[in-house]
Amino acid sequence: MVTPEQIQHWIEQGLTDSAAKVSGDGQHFEAVIVCADFSGKTRIQRHQMVYAALGDRMKSEIHALSMKTVTTEEIQMQS
Amino acid sequence: MAQEIIKKTVEDNEIVLFMKGSQDFPQCGFSGRAVQILSACGADFASVDVLADEQIRDGIKQFSNWPTVPQLYVKGEFIGGSDIMMEMYQSGELQQILGDKEHA
Repeated sequence: MVTPEQIQHWIEQGLTDSAAKVSGDGQHFEAVIVCADFSGKTRIQRHQMVYAALGDRMKSEIHALSMKTVTTEEIQMQS
Repeated sequence: MAQEIIKKTVEDNEIVLFMKGSQDFPQCGFSGRAVQILSACGADFASVDVLADEQIRDGIKQFSNWPTVPQLYVKGEFIGGSDIMMEMYQSGELQQILGDKEHA
């Protein structure tokens, strides 16, 4: 079974300068991903970058992943 | 073949949701959420149950290079999955996109 820690590791390894916070029950996961490279990208492009980092695991091990993708600037604006 | 059917579907329907199950009986939490969001926007939309056709189920993932369902298309353009729909709904962008159709 996939753990939130594994998903966090895969995302952070696949996306340069990123930090992910992942929670989940082994089937459904939720992730907040902060990455500088998201800057200037649309929501679709950001999600596609995360999907690319996870690769084929999205088709097999990970049943469902809900995500929020933000840049460091966006986090500062929200707080 | 599946790609052509999908292309025609998104061109022929102003708002179309590819989902698991039907609008009345979604078969997955994310699809159910997508239907709820569109309903909250008062949108009249077509839906395609990907569970009913294996070729469409696989094909839709390649169509927009997006590995998950649901997927929303408005005027032939891919808008996103349920997370993006929710973000856009909360910011009011989704209502705008869907509303444009009524004013057009």
